[in-house]
Amino acid sequence: MHRLGGVGLAAFDRHEQSKRSFAELSSELSHSQIENLQAELTQFRSALAHFATTHRDSIKSDPSFRHAFQQMCSSIGVDPLAGPRKGGWWAEMLGLGDWHYELGVQIVDVCVSTRERNGGLIEMTELIRLVSMLRGVQGGIITDDDFTRSIKTLQPLGAGYEVVHIGGRKMVRSVVKELDEDQNTVLAVAQDAGGRVVEEMLVNRKGWTHDRARTALENMLLRDGLCWLDDQDEQHGRAYWVPSVMKWDV
Amino acid sequence: MTTLSTHTTPSGYLLPSIHSAPPFFTQQPNPITQAVVCEQWTKLILSYARFKKLFVLRVEDAETLGGDWDEILRNERINRKLSAPHLSSIISTMVTKNLAAYEPPKQTRSVLLYWRQPEEWAEVLHKWVSTTGQLNTILTFLDITEPPIESPLTNLPTSLLKKAIAILAKTNRAQLFGIADGEGVRFFASK
Repeated sequence: MHRLGGVGLAAFDRHEQSKRSFAELSSELSHSQIENLQAELTQFRSALAHFATTHRDSIKSDPSFRHAFQQMCSSIGVDPLAGPRKGGWWAEMLGLGDWHYELGVQIVDVCVSTRERNGGLIEMTELIRLVSMLRGVQGGIITDDDFTRSIKTLQPLGAGYEVVHIGGRKMVRSVVKELDEDQNTVLAVAQDAGGRVVEEMLVNRKGWTHDRARTALENMLLRDGLCWLDDQDEQHGRAYWVPSVMKWDV
Repeated sequence: MTTLSTHTTPSGYLLPSIHSAPPFFTQQPNPITQAVVCEQWTKLILSYARFKKLFVLRVEDAETLGGDWDEILRNERINRKLSAPHLSSIISTMVTKNLAAYEPPKQTRSVLLYWRQPEEWAEVLHKWVSTTGQLNTILTFLDITEPPIESPLTNLPTSLLKKAIAILAKTNRAQLFGIADGEGVRFFASK
């Protein structure tokens, strides 16, 4: 039987030839695969571009749409906020990265301008209210979620921007300052009381000693500037007010 | 949550929301916080003075009931008032920032408020004189501060008027001289 591979010298030629053919075939195949992929990618891109252009405005203006979009992105492993540097084709198409940076700048604006009166701690709802006022009516509705994302984009700045949970409420901190547990407790008590705290409240409600209560309050007053003193309090003569949990109608 | 809201006084002045915050009336032990409080008080005092055309603020105004300044130095709705020492410290900061001047000098209980700087008053004065056709005529201080038709200069304290005239005199737009029963002034057109 004549074997395909054969023996003898001619077999080498045949072998070489088939190798070449295989190589040709493989490169042809991979070429067409690449072409296919490129075509698909182009299609994908144009689909995304189409999506981006048709939905850009609703992404920016409709908070629930934006949330759904962000969830979709995270489920397929795309970060729509990846900045222009980090392959931000997405961000470029949507302008969403810019949108969040812009929101970030406004957050910084409000945090810095209110820092002197609240000591660098502001309640999330209050921050949203003030930023919304800054953006005006055309800015559309912005949600908690958007703020949390934007504040995350501010973290590399190292200025301490962070969302902290105090007494079940979200607050935004804009100073590099760790709040100790006692301060957290004081803030939570102040929140319940509309901003006003007196030593007795901490003693009665939290079982603190007078010394501990006074130290915590005086530290917040003198060291951190997180509260203001009221020396005309009708009941106790000396009350502490936490401006960051008071609602300012400015 | 306590909402600090604005409030319109009986005289029609709109108080800022900070005026309904109880600790606003206390001198703050933290210097940074006190700077904020003082700045807010300064703004409030000058804006109220402009609204009511008040020129003089005295430390005693914090203690006397029924004075010109009651509407802002007190807040009956939250039962708070500014203390005299606190007002005195605010006044001293205002003088440092040239937003007020002790009047008479060499005491610290009473100030002349500069809700318009003397330079601005000089321009107001010169404009009033020229638009009322009184350039080159001799005017007494009373002609200016108590004119028959009310003007922006009505009731301007003489000390402030003198400062304004002095400023105009530097650019040869006014000349001060003694007349029979006191002092007179003549204004000239701008060159």
